[in-house]
Formats: sequence, structure tokens, C-alpha cells
Amino acid sequence: MSSFLDRAHTVAPPGYNRFLVPPAALAVHLSIGQAYAFSTFNLPLTKLIGLSKSVPDDWTLKQIAWIFSIAIVCLGLSAAFFGRWVESVGPRKAMFTAALCFSGGFFVSAVGIYTHQLWLLYLGYGVLGGCGLGIGYISPVSTLIKWFPDRPGMATGMAIMGFGGGALIGAPLSTYLMGAFATASSNGVFESFVTMGVLYFVFMMLGVYAVRVPAADWKPAGWTAPVVANRMITKADVHVDVAYKTPQFILLWIVLCMNVTAGIAVLSQASPMIQEMFGSRVTPVAAAGFVGLLSIFNMLGRFFWASMSDYLGRRTTYMIFFLLGILLYATVPTIGRMGSIPLFVAACAVILSMYGGGFATIPAYLRDMFGTMHVGAIHGRLLTAWSAAGVLGPILLAYIREDQIAAGVPKTEAYSLTMYIMCGLLLVGFLANLAMRAVSERHHFRETASAHS
Amino acid sequence: MAVRLVLLWAAVGIPLIWGVEKTLENAIKLFQ
Repeated sequence: MSSFLDRAHTVAPPGYNRFLVPPAALAVHLSIGQAYAFSTFNLPLTKLIGLSKSVPDDWTLKQIAWIFSIAIVCLGLSAAFFGRWVESVGPRKAMFTAALCFSGGFFVSAVGIYTHQLWLLYLGYGVLGGCGLGIGYISPVSTLIKWFPDRPGMATGMAIMGFGGGALIGAPLSTYLMGAFATASSNGVFESFVTMGVLYFVFMMLGVYAVRVPAADWKPAGWTAPVVANRMITKADVHVDVAYKTPQFILLWIVLCMNVTAGIAVLSQASPMIQEMFGSRVTPVAAAGFVGLLSIFNMLGRFFWASMSDYLGRRTTYMIFFLLGILLYATVPTIGRMGSIPLFVAACAVILSMYGGGFATIPAYLRDMFGTMHVGAIHGRLLTAWSAAGVLGPILLAYIREDQIAAGVPKTEAYSLTMYIMCGLLLVGFLANLAMRAVSERHHFRETASAHS
Repeated sequence: MAVRLVLLWAAVGIPLIWGVEKTLENAIKLFQ
């Protein structure tokens, strides 16, 4: 088994079709993307004892909310800590580990549900599952960049699109399973967790089986590296331990953090926001449809913007995210006052497409700046920006909304100040992106010299 | 190789299309 998982056994034979690799990456990302749909379990988990309603011995929504938060923090931390290991062992072993962790998280959590011990859910889905998310997220990135040197944005966009799409599968799947397993004495959550653990393990193993790395000297047929020098696309490599100390890494961290903060704020509050801004015109069911629509644009934006970045350049693509984002966030309060639901939906859809696009374009941006050698590990460390944004964005929006309502601002106007603050955050991201320059040659990796020279 | 390509893409594409369809069914309610 260990030899099957080794990097040496994943080297593709001559003539291997490189388009077999993106579905392998998608199998992993579509699975771990289920994390975005974890909220479908929130209410059922608060009724494990009472079944039809929460009773005093049941867990509260606040206690349940920690499971997702722990998972996202562990995603960022595990991607940062295990990035170098993922690079060294190759994508197959990393994907297999991710499958064990992610599905293992479901099984440990299922035991926690069965015995009604919340700490097992924190440990299972939160810590173990979160590590699966982090390792799974970065495992196919550098492999795809090596397979598609001519279209790195499109290739990573395809895989990371899967993470956005995972929620679209995870949400209806969990609802269906809970409905199918529900009995007079159980709401079907325990059985659903066990089933999802098995299903996702099998699905991720499809990726483990199919993934291949290209031979060291492999290039796409008929493709030669561009001869026209582009200062913003390096031909050298930067060691991961050097990369994270460069100004470029810090600037990219800010770029990702600001872009994600703005998007995740909208995504986390999308349902109450549309209901409060448009009052009785939007029912809770319609608001749920709005959240689903945003998820579709989040997914499509990942492929669209990352592919576009191959033509526009990464820096220009992020300039569009920030400038168009500022324009849209600044317009949302006016659209709310106009009472135009279609315009509001359209603005939020574009915002969410750029949120997804930011995630999907960043690996190619890292490759442009630091080369392919340690791009997966560098990407892992950069994902700590996601963890930070995951806390910052929702808290900013929720707290400012509450303060505004407490200050007597009508609910329809309660989000206006937050939107202008988001414009400010995007401006910070814009300035960081504007300051981006090529990495100094003194940071380039030289095999004969020390990695830190 | 071509059969494998189609099978692999179908394996990831079919669940994704199912998920998009289910999501769109709910999203339509927004405009009703």
C-alpha cells in the first residue's frame, strides 16, 4: 500500500492525458467542500434528544457553531504546517491522508452524536476533519500547476472550483440522508454522518487512484516557455522558508485576507441580510435560495476568474476584484434603498464570484512570484489569511449590524456602514496588490548554495 | 485512455450537476 502511495509510483507514463488529473483534484475538493454546507446539520444537532424541539439537555446553536469554526482554523493551520510534507510525499499520499482525516472526522463525530459527547464533534469534524480540509485543499495544487504550465490559473481554478461546488452537493445530500434515516426515535444525524464518512472516503479515493505527477522533463506537446520576459512571472524558484519572509508573501497575504474578508462577510450573513434589507418581500425560503445562488457564483467565479487571469495577468485580475468590489459594495446600500431585488442579487453574485476567484487565482499568483518548486507549501502558509478572514469578516458584519440596530438605525439600513467598511478593506487590498513587485533575485533558490542564501 | 477520461469526468461531473440543479430549484423561489 505504501508503495502505491509513493510519489515515485505516481509519475505518469509518456503520452498520459493531462486532463485526467483535474477530475482527480475535483474528487478531493468536491468532497472537502462539504464543509461549506455543514450548517445544514446545525439545527438537527440541537434536537438530538428532543427530536422535534430542543430540550434543556440538548446542545445549543452556539456550542454547535464552534465545530465549523474549529474546522476552518484547523484548515489554515494544517495547510501551513503540513505544506512542506505534502510537497515531499506527493499528491497521492497527501490525498489519501486527507481522505482518512476527513472521513475519520465524520466517524469520530458520529460516535460523539451517538454518545452525546460534544467534545468528540470538536475533535472529529473540527480538528481531524479540519486537518483533512487543509491537507486536501493544497494537495493537488502544485501538481496541477506542473501539468498545466501554459494555463496554471485555469488548472487550479478547476480544482478549487470543486471546493465551492462541494457545498452544492453536501447540502442536498445531508438533507436527503437525514430525511431517509429519520425514525420515531432518531432524527437521522448519526446515520447520515456514518454514511457521509463512507461516501466521501470512497469519492476521495477516486482522486487518490487517478492522480499522477508529470515526469521531471515533461512539457505539454508543442509548448515552449514564453521567451518574452515578464518581470511579474519568475523563471526561478524560492524556497518556502525564504518565501514567507519576503514582502511579496506579506502583500499576497493581505491581498487574500482582504478579498476573503469582504466576500465571507456577505456569504455568512446573506440570508438575514436580504430579508432585513427587503423586509417581507423576501421569505426565509427565498433567502435560502439566494444563499444557494451565491454558492453557484462562488463556484463559477473560481473557474472563470482564475482562467481569465492566464490572459489578464494575476495582478490585473486582483485589481479588477478590488476596484469592481469597491464599486459594488459602495452601491449596495443605494440598491437597498431603491428596493431592487434583482440588482441586489446581481451585485452580490458578482461580489461572490470575485470572492471565489480570489481563492482560485492565488496559487497561480504564488507560482508567478515564487516559482513551482514549493508552491504548494507556500500556498499552505498563505491560507492562514483565510483563517484570519474567516473570523474577521463575519464578526465585523454581525457586530456592526447589531451596533447599528442598537443605535436606532432601521434594519433596512443596518448594513450600509458595513458595506462602506468593506470598501475600506478592499482599498487596503488594492494598495497591497499595487505595491507588488517581482521577488528579488537574492531570494532565489540555488541548489549549490544554502536554501536560505 | 479516452474511456477513462470520460468515466472520471462523469464521476465528478454528475454529482456536481445534481447539486447545481437542486440549488437552482431553491434559487428560483427567490424570483417567484
